[in-house]
Order: sequence, then C-alpha cells, then structure tokens
Amino acid sequence: MLRLIAQRLQSWLNLPGETGAVLPALAVMLGAALLAFVFIAFFAGPVTWWERRVAGRVMSRIGPNRVGPQGVLQWLADGLKSFLKEDIVPAAADRPLFLFAPYLFFGGYMATFVVLPFGAHLVATDLSVGLLYLIAISGLVVVGILMAGWGSNNKWALFGGIRSAAQLVSYEIPSAFSLLAVVLATGTLSMQGIVRAQGGWPWEWLLFRNPLLFGMFFVSFAASLAENNRTPFDLPEGESELVAGYHVEYSGMRFLWFMFAEWGNLWVIASLATVGFLGGWQIPGVRPEVIDQSTGWAFAGWQALSFLVFAGKASMLVLFAIQIRWTLPRLRVDQMMIVCWKYLVPLALLGSAGVLVLVALVPEGSPVDWFLRAVSLGLGLWLIIAYVRKARAAYLADREPYRRLEGKDPWYPPYRLP
Amino acid sequence: MTGADLAARITAAIPDAVVAVEESPTDPVVQVRPEVLHAVAAFARQDLGMETLRLITAIDRPPETIDVVWHCLSMPQHRTLTLKTRLPRENPVVATVSDLWDAANWFEREQFDLVGVHFVGHPNLKRLLMPEDWVGHPLRKDYQRPEEYHGIPTARDRVVPVREVAPPMHGPKAAEQDGWMLLNMGPHHPATHGVLNFLLQTDGEIVRKATPDVGYLHRGIEKIAEMNTYAGTMPYTDRVDYLGGMATNQAWAMACERLLGVEVPRRGEFLRVIAVELNRIASHLIGTGSLAMDLGAFTPFVHWLREREYINDLMERICGARLTYTYMRIGGVARDIDRETLDRTLQWLDHFEPMLGEFDRLIGSNEIFVNRLANIAVMPAEAAMSFSLVGPNLRGSGVRWDLRRDEPYSVYPELEFDVPVGRGFRGTVGDAYDRFMVRMLEMQESARILRQAIARIPDGEFRAKVPRVLKPPAREAYGRVEAPRGEAGFYVVSNGTERPERVRIRTGCFTAMPAIESLSPGLMVADIIALIGSLDVIAPEVDR
Repeated sequence: MLRLIAQRLQSWLNLPGETGAVLPALAVMLGAALLAFVFIAFFAGPVTWWERRVAGRVMSRIGPNRVGPQGVLQWLADGLKSFLKEDIVPAAADRPLFLFAPYLFFGGYMATFVVLPFGAHLVATDLSVGLLYLIAISGLVVVGILMAGWGSNNKWALFGGIRSAAQLVSYEIPSAFSLLAVVLATGTLSMQGIVRAQGGWPWEWLLFRNPLLFGMFFVSFAASLAENNRTPFDLPEGESELVAGYHVEYSGMRFLWFMFAEWGNLWVIASLATVGFLGGWQIPGVRPEVIDQSTGWAFAGWQALSFLVFAGKASMLVLFAIQIRWTLPRLRVDQMMIVCWKYLVPLALLGSAGVLVLVALVPEGSPVDWFLRAVSLGLGLWLIIAYVRKARAAYLADREPYRRLEGKDPWYPPYRLP
Repeated sequence: MTGADLAARITAAIPDAVVAVEESPTDPVVQVRPEVLHAVAAFARQDLGMETLRLITAIDRPPETIDVVWHCLSMPQHRTLTLKTRLPRENPVVATVSDLWDAANWFEREQFDLVGVHFVGHPNLKRLLMPEDWVGHPLRKDYQRPEEYHGIPTARDRVVPVREVAPPMHGPKAAEQDGWMLLNMGPHHPATHGVLNFLLQTDGEIVRKATPDVGYLHRGIEKIAEMNTYAGTMPYTDRVDYLGGMATNQAWAMACERLLGVEVPRRGEFLRVIAVELNRIASHLIGTGSLAMDLGAFTPFVHWLREREYINDLMERICGARLTYTYMRIGGVARDIDRETLDRTLQWLDHFEPMLGEFDRLIGSNEIFVNRLANIAVMPAEAAMSFSLVGPNLRGSGVRWDLRRDEPYSVYPELEFDVPVGRGFRGTVGDAYDRFMVRMLEMQESARILRQAIARIPDGEFRAKVPRVLKPPAREAYGRVEAPRGEAGFYVVSNGTERPERVRIRTGCFTAMPAIESLSPGLMVADIIALIGSLDVIAPEVDR
C-alpha cells in the first residue's frame, strides 16, 4: 500500500531513480514533520495556558489551575478535548476548501520554524535567504484564511476572511521594510548571520545600534501583531463583531489547528523580533567563536545556555503581546488601514532608507557609531523610565482611596493593589 | 396649565375639536373627535411645544369602542398633554401622527399589531412583534388564539418538533439582487445583548441600512397583566427589564398606588430609593462594561462584573434575589433592610467610588476607545426628543431631563444630586462617547444619592396597610420612574374589578430601536455595534 503510494507519487512528480527509492525519503519527511509538530506543540501549547493565566491576573480572577501543577497541563486537556469533538462541516460549505484551509494555515506557520535559530546551533536549517523565506512562507497563512472564510459559506466568515486578507497584505509591507533595515544593517539574509552580526550585550544589539533601528523595532513589532491578528488588530476574528470571523464554522480538531497556529505564531513573531533586534541567542560576554570551538559537554552546555537566553528574550516579548491583548480595545477597519498606510508604511520606508545611509556613512566602531548607540540606549532608558513613571502615577492615584479602606474588615473580597 | 386651559387653546385653534376634559394633577386628558386628531396633534406639536410623544396606547373597550390615547410631553415647559379619542370598534381608523413625531412610527405599528387600530397614512404599517402573517390582534378582548401557526401548535400540551413542520422562514432575498449584501446580525449575536435581530444592508463594511427585527423575546406581559391581579403582576415587571428590575417594580407599584390612592410610608420610600439606586449602578456597570467588551476590550467588563457581583450580594440580603427582585409591593416594599446591609452598602461604596477613576484610566480615556466612540452616531437634541429617547440616551444628547428631578416622585426632591448631560466630552454633543460618559457620571450621582438616603433613612413602617383584595375604581394612572434605561412607565386603566382593563408598558429601549434605524446609514458594521452598545439596548425591554 505504502509502496503503491510511493510509486504513484514518484511517477506523478516525475522523479528520477529506481521505483520505490522515494519511500525512505517519504518516511523521513513524515518523521521530520511529526518531530517538528511535537516540537511546535511544546511552544504553542503552554503559551495558551500562559496567556490565560496572565489574562486571569489582568482581570482579577484566577485562570486555569486544575490540570497539573498550577494548570500547566491545561493545554493538553484542551487539545484532547478538541480531538474528541465532532468535526462538523456545514452542508452548504465548499467542502474541499473548507477541509483543507486549516492545514494551509497551520502549514504556513509550521514552516517558519525551520529557519528560527533557537540557540547557537539549534536551527533546523540555516538558509542563506532565511528571512526572505520566512516572510514568503507566512504568506500561506493569508491563503488559508481566505479559503476558510470563503469555503465556510457564511457571510460573517467571509467578512473575517476579507478583512484578514486586507490586513495581512497591508501589514506585510511595513513588516518587510522594517526587516529590510535589519538586513541592510547586518548585510545578510541568513537568520544565524543576523544573530552573529550582533552581540550579547544590549549595546551590541541592533535595537540600540542607532535610533532609526530603535524605531524600526516598534514598527516591526506592531506590524507583526497585526499579521498575527492580535488585539488591537484582531478585526478578522473580533468576537463581539464577527463572532469568530473566518473560523466561525469550524469545530473540533480543525478549529484547534487555527488556534494552534495562532498561539504558535506568537512565538514566531517574538522570535523574529528577538533575532532581528534583540541579539537572538547571543550570551553576554561570550563570543560565538567560543561556542563553535567547544566540544562534548561544553558544547551541549553552551547550546542549552544560548537557548535559555533566546527563550527568555522571546518570552518577554510574548508576555508584552499578551498584556497588550488584554488591555486594549479593537481598532475599526478604516482606522486599522490608516495606522498601516499613513503611519507605519512611511515610517518603515524612511527608516530603512535612513539605515541605508547610516550603514554607508558610519563605519562600525567609529566615534559617530558609538554616539548613535549611546543615543539609542538613552532612548530605551527614557522609554523604561517613562513607563515606570506612568505606572507609578497610576499606582499613587489609587493608593489614597485604598488607604482609607485599610484596617477595616470588608465583607467582600477586597481588591488589592499590587 | 390645567386640562381646561389646554382644551381652551385647542378649541380656539380648531373649533369643535374637544369632546371632553378630564383633570388630573399629572396628566390632564383632552378628549377630541377622531376626525380632527391629526390637526390637534399638529397644533400640540407646533403651537403647544409638545416635542415628545411619550406613548400611544389603544384600549379595546367592547362592545362598542376602542380608545386611543396619545401621551405628549413638552420637556422645556414641564407640561404634559394627553389626547384621547374614541373609535368605533368595527372599523378603528385614525390618522397617523408619524409625520409629527418620529417615535410614533413604531408605537403605531405596535398598536396596529396588538389591538388592530389602523393608522391612515402610516408609511410602513406592518406588524411589529407578531409574525407578519399572524391572524388576529392579541390585545382585543375577544381574541381567540389560533390553534396552530404554519402547522406548529400554539398550545403547550401538543409539542411537535419545529423542524418537521416549519417552512423556510425567509423568501428570496430581494436586497441581494440589487447589489447589496443582506446580513443578519442576530438573533444570536454577541453584540445585540439578547435576542434581537438587525437586518443589515451593507456594501462591504459600510452599512446602508440597519432594520431592527424585534419580537423574539415578546412574552406578552401586557396581556398577562390583564389576566392577573394587581399584586400578582409585580413579578412580571422584573422581567420587563432584567437588569433594572427594581425600577420597573417601582413604576408598577406607583401606577397601582395612584389608582388606589395609597400613600407609601416615608421609610418605604427611602428603602425604594436605596434599592433602585443600587440597581441603577448595577445596570450601568453592565451597560458601560459591555460597551467596552463590544469594542474588543474584555478586561473592563470583567472588572465591572466583579463590582456588580457585590451589588448582587447586597440585593440578596435586601430581597433574597439576585436578578429578578420583586422587592416592591403596592404601598411599600416587601421587607425592611437591616442596619448591617446599609453599613455594608456604605463600605462597598468606599471601595467602588475609586474604581470609577480606575475604569476611566483603563478604558474611558483610552485613545482607541475614544476614537471608536467620539463623533459616531451623533443624535442631536431635537431628534432625540422627537424619537422620544429617554434616560442617559436623551441626556447624552444634551437634554437635561430626569424624571427624578423634573417630575419629582418618591423622596428624590429631598436628596441632592446632579443630572449629568452630554457636553461633547471628546467630540460632538450626542455622540456615542457622550452616552457612555453620562452613564459613568450617573453612577457617581447614584453613589451620592445612596449615601444621603442611608444617612437620612427614618424609622417607622415600611409598607402601608392595603386591603388583601385590590379593587381600584374605574380610572387610569400612569406611573413612571427614571429607570437605568430611561423612563419606565406603566399606563394602567382599571375597570372596577380585581383585574386591570389595559396595561401599557413604556420602556426606554423600545423607542431607541427606530433611532438605531435612522442613525445607521453610512456607519460601518463595527460602528453599528458601538451604537447598539452606547444606547444600552436590551431585548426584553424592546419586546416585553
């Protein structure tokens, strides 16, 4: 049976070689896909739990805490439940499109994992055009969403699909241009190359290379949020407007593929920002050459350490995205377009052009270069201070009324300040 | 101005119009001949300054006549005028006034649907609550319920699965043929706050027209009340507005007290005020929180739900129920509120008032939130009065009209509070943000009222002595209160027996629905949701 499939496949693809020689290759592909799937599940799954716990904190409730210690295994229970649910296909749906859309959606996301460098040597394949590949392959997601929106034969789903297509196509532009600035600054499209062009310390990151790249980071992150349909850009699925948008008709495992990809994508956008701007897996004070030349346990140790550094940075960005989601309301569709075409696109264009000029005029290590780095570090510091001051002002505004409640024994569970 | 003065002015303009005059301290009634009704109404609208039509009621009085009553109101002059006319029961025909007041459109459709009065010249005289092909008019006294509707039995003892007998409900979609997309928003849609349906005619995201399709939650409370005793109707009034049940309770109690001439003891009035104001806060929490949720911010809603939960706990101590209170009784309230509950209320207020500031920082001043609501769906003051909007929706348009202040009832005149109105906080007067903001400010005022009422509550009886069997003389009364969603009123006509002749329920959301229809053209789909949310529409109030 398997041999027959292999033969058919071979003749259909018109592959050279002996009949059946494709079989081992097919087996390897399947095995690799399964491995990749399990690997990705360990990224996407816990994020769902994490997001719900953070949301619980934000909303002064608890969140899932029953399955496993503190509920960390909740995502497994959810997955199992979805797996056992009936897979409903609407009678009027365009069946092939409807059935295939989740896989395209999920595939587009899964393929991006191939080039993400999780550690010094923890990367599936370091393509020389890694960044280009990543931008291109995530375009598959649009096709999946459009297919789901159209194939469901539901006007609300169609709304979601069309909104999503418009949104993704628009936001690809600022996203790609801000990443172009990264490419210009590092001179390579390879993901590992981009990481290795940076260093472990913050002043060696591209984020603080010069003020333009500092700005590009925010353009890139905002565009990534929009591409991932996260609040405030969650118009394609806006639950109070479109009920669930393009996946409104899906149930069971097919629904799970969408959710899976969405939360996995959170990791992808965080990883992309980490690789492009935050120095990737670079360990502060350790040159990459040291890791390259180490052997045995030392090598494995460096890999683990670099992975931890990478995961730490990326998860901070994931947390940031989660906090944004549970704080902000949603934009309207025209406002979403205005944000993209009137602000992000010109900013990204100007920024990448400016980076081009700076790369040409300012050699690395020159006094001007150090001055630019100092300015961007100052900007970063100012941002942090402004954030802390704002948080403190909000805290002080609340403290006075709550102080009056102190010492009393309220009958209701009191709302505590952090 | 008394009824006689009003009648004199009408007679001066239109001779022989007035048939009779009934004096009343609140609503003087002028009975006119049906042929001149439109002329009298136009005179009232233009020369007497009655910009608002409160209610149209048709009363079936077999064997001969059907009465139709128009309650008009002039807000700037604090003056009411009630027009009444008597139509033959065989052929009840009267001119429409929908060209004078926008609110009349739906009132007339409803009365045509339920009582069968034909309003000549109405632009769209179709059934409103019942299906269009329904037979008979349910509020006629001799109404016989059809055995079945399209093969679906109407009696409960014969249950047939609907999908076996029901025909496809929708015919060919004419709207789609001329290039518009017809979109059903509802009856099950998270933003319509209950089973409401809006037929959206859209061009992509731009809405050309949103037509409300109501009646999914029509329980016929007006009909039930006719078959029930006065005291027995009280539990049904909770269900008229399930988020503000205290206020509808109070409106019913006030209407019955006016019929019976019962005085409520002072402590009873204070207890009513405390319960209603707590309920108002609870209702506005849902109103503002769900508006934020409709715009995509889930967190504020959950925070407000937590606060509402504490109110529910207080309500449970007050009357034993958390949602459908049935706390009021004719002549007072069901039971006293103990000192500990009052202390707990004060303690909770200490905690709640700072939360308003927090909510404002979390969502009210959020740039995205403001941009989603400011300058959206602007309702000018003139139109708001013509559409007979009430409560926060009317005040959002800048009209300072609050029944607690302008038609004082209960002990509100003794209490000090402001009436917040829309001032164009972030855009134009009367936009969606103003309506949101008025609700936020009203919660503050309610907290103020609560503190005063708790401080001043006197000892004594909380319920007047009323006879066990209530038989009010044949007269009519209109009890209206400022409910969370605006004026909630019961217009009750008694006939000397234990059961009312006719009960007419006036709610704030009913008149908000045609306003949605008129505001919708040119908005986006997401704006429609903001509009519905900012008007704080809930389905049971629309359908009753």
